[in-house]
Amino acid sequence: MSETPQEPPRLSDAEMLARFQNSKKRPPCSDTLGMRLTEVEQEARRIRMDFEVSQSFANPTGAVQGGFIAAMLDEAMSTCVIIDSNVTMTAPTLEMKVSYLKRLMPGPAHVEARILKRGRSAVFMEADCFDDEGTLVARASASAIPMPFRRLG
Amino acid sequence: MAEMSREELDAHWRSILTEGPFPGATSFLGFQLVDFDSREGWCTARFTASEAMLNPGGTVQGGFVTAMLDEVMSLSGAIPQPVMSWVPTLQLTVNFIRAMHPGPVFGRGELVYTSKSTAHVQGQLTDENGRLLARGVAACMPRPLPAGN
Repeated sequence: MSETPQEPPRLSDAEMLARFQNSKKRPPCSDTLGMRLTEVEQEARRIRMDFEVSQSFANPTGAVQGGFIAAMLDEAMSTCVIIDSNVTMTAPTLEMKVSYLKRLMPGPAHVEARILKRGRSAVFMEADCFDDEGTLVARASASAIPMPFRRLG
Repeated sequence: MAEMSREELDAHWRSILTEGPFPGATSFLGFQLVDFDSREGWCTARFTASEAMLNPGGTVQGGFVTAMLDEVMSLSGAIPQPVMSWVPTLQLTVNFIRAMHPGPVFGRGELVYTSKSTAHVQGQLTDENGRLLARGVAACMPRPLPAGN
């Protein structure tokens, strides 16, 4: 990982987790998705999130509409970039590909995201979405452009 | 479900997509049908990007952009099918071109190719000024809807 000299000292995994869990400036999309960050592993460059998917994100068959699964995957991958950069960078997604392996019903869901590579001009991420039984229901890969982060104080 | 003619299928789709009640995902996105053509294989709709979809940067989180694309792309794949069907998405790729802000969004989905087992669709979202915000392509799987739908 390339770090600039003026970057603040790195927090421990527990401190980073607490910082996000206690943040008062939660973006609206995180509340909409019922998101809760549950694990941070900076060494492994991965995070885990729990979601509570609302009934209101169902498609006509009663399963969660694919776009909302994409929203959870995107949420986790974006947060993973912010944490991996020690809260100095955010990364608007350029392209995201999602494979839908299995239906997901509204209720609890879990997403694990990881950084494949974070360079100066591009970031590559992956994420897996699991249902409450731990079955893989969707996988995403995405690319993004890192930019300085200002929002989370 | 009894065999329906193309005209009956179109009328049925038009009534479902204009009268509702809509499933949760469709309502959340502020879906309003603009038009569709089952023979040419396209569907257009208006969406409303809301505050609840915003990321820390104050723009619409990519997943909700994807959800809008998924709606119009799925419809463009489902409506042309010879029986009332839905088209579960197998894989979907989205290019996020410009940031989306709260307000009206226009979506268009197009059927590229369909057979008994596959439907390839593409879609795009534009803002009020016709500027391209996002594009998507997806591979789907047509499945007849159970009777009563």
